[in-house]
Amino acid sequence: MHTNKVEQLIIATVGFFWCFLMWFSTAAFSPSIAAHYHLSIAALGLLASSAIWMAPVGRIVAGWASDRYGAPRTFAVILTVCGLVSIASAFTQDYTLLFAERVIVAIAGVSFVVGIQHVAQWFDANEIGTTEGLYAGTGNVGAGMGALLLPRIFGTDYHAAFLWLGIIALAIAAWYLARGQAARTVKQRDTARDRSDLRSAVFVWSRYIAVALMLAYAMSFGLEIALNAWLPGYFSRGFHNAILALGFTGVAGVQIAAGTFAAVQSFCASLFRPFAGFMSDIFQRKGWTPLPFIAKSLPYAPRLHWLGIALILISLAMVGLTLAGLSGSLHLSVVMLVALGIFISFGTGGTFALVPLLFPDRPGTAAGFIGGVSTAAAIVFPLIFAASTNMHVGYLTVAVYMFVPFVLFYFWAARYERHPEDHGIFNRALAVEEA
Amino acid sequence: MSTQFRTAEEASYEPWYKYGVAFLAVEMLIAVAVSAYSLFMTFQGLGGFPGKH
Repeated sequence: MHTNKVEQLIIATVGFFWCFLMWFSTAAFSPSIAAHYHLSIAALGLLASSAIWMAPVGRIVAGWASDRYGAPRTFAVILTVCGLVSIASAFTQDYTLLFAERVIVAIAGVSFVVGIQHVAQWFDANEIGTTEGLYAGTGNVGAGMGALLLPRIFGTDYHAAFLWLGIIALAIAAWYLARGQAARTVKQRDTARDRSDLRSAVFVWSRYIAVALMLAYAMSFGLEIALNAWLPGYFSRGFHNAILALGFTGVAGVQIAAGTFAAVQSFCASLFRPFAGFMSDIFQRKGWTPLPFIAKSLPYAPRLHWLGIALILISLAMVGLTLAGLSGSLHLSVVMLVALGIFISFGTGGTFALVPLLFPDRPGTAAGFIGGVSTAAAIVFPLIFAASTNMHVGYLTVAVYMFVPFVLFYFWAARYERHPEDHGIFNRALAVEEA
Repeated sequence: MSTQFRTAEEASYEPWYKYGVAFLAVEMLIAVAVSAYSLFMTFQGLGGFPGKH
């Protein structure tokens, strides 16, 4: 079969976009579902949180599977299973069964790491930042597009929406199987497959730089989805009077404004991600290594520095968000939030510009660990935000007690001038001989 | 490191790369435009993010 890298990128991006659409389609129709089944606020909250339950473990498994079986087969399985269950959920009349089905459909989100692996198997080091950024950033927009278009197209008829989303998922699965090719060469595909055993996976998971990248992704993507859940309530309560002063009335009006601020953060975090990957490529081409401690002579050292800068900017923006909130200025808070959204994209794009270069023979296993475990942050961060006596202070708390240690650990793990991917715990027991 | 990757010094960008960069620039412009519109509407009390009315 004659194909090329751009076709493979398009297939992966479309597949991921549709998976993201399915992943968040439940949330897009949650008001309709809540009204139909008379859900309580607690039940609605449970439905909202269920979208993330399968991600941490699911992504680890999906990443391993993409190395073992190849991305086309793995992606096709995910699309097929989630598509069929989405179709089934369109005909379900019992809420308990619907809830279970939508949890399964949410597994579509694990496809992220499969596409990362697929793209890594086709593109060169000097273009990997832009490529992974285009794949992930464009795919991420699926969630926003779902929130935007699905209610406009289907109204409150979530049955029809779930049906059509499932049918199209099956079509994309067929396309992926027909045109998808796991890697540019047979040798690459076979290397990833041969390195997909448990010992090799544990080796990757125990590398200091893998843990550092996982924490970096928790600080960026984990923070992004945590803010998606937290910000509407934060702005509704923290700036209630300021929003009313804009002219919005009632609960619905305040929610429109608060929801807009949350959506802008997420939108910027998604659509600036390709640019962040491009900036990683720029740093690499220019050879920029401005930060202290982090390695300077590695082939991909400039990318380590770009990510380090991103993590520092995220931490500073979190402090800025607290200060803006304490000042009482809604405008300043929104400005800080937009900046935070953009810096988050620097972190997400910067992380996965590095993963394929640090673990070229096991990109799926590495992506699964880094992209999977980090999503647990989406559960932890809102709990910390909510635990603060002053709701504006939660961002500062997370920045000081979590992000500063994470960033220091990143600097420590990225300091090696030779093979940072070999340094970790259980070195002797897990030593893997290079071919 | 796997021979799949050439160093930046050895490789120039392939023809598709400039189209990829153009596409990401369009995505950024969309983000800026939609965000600016949404925030303008919100701060004027006229509405919000497209779809949130």
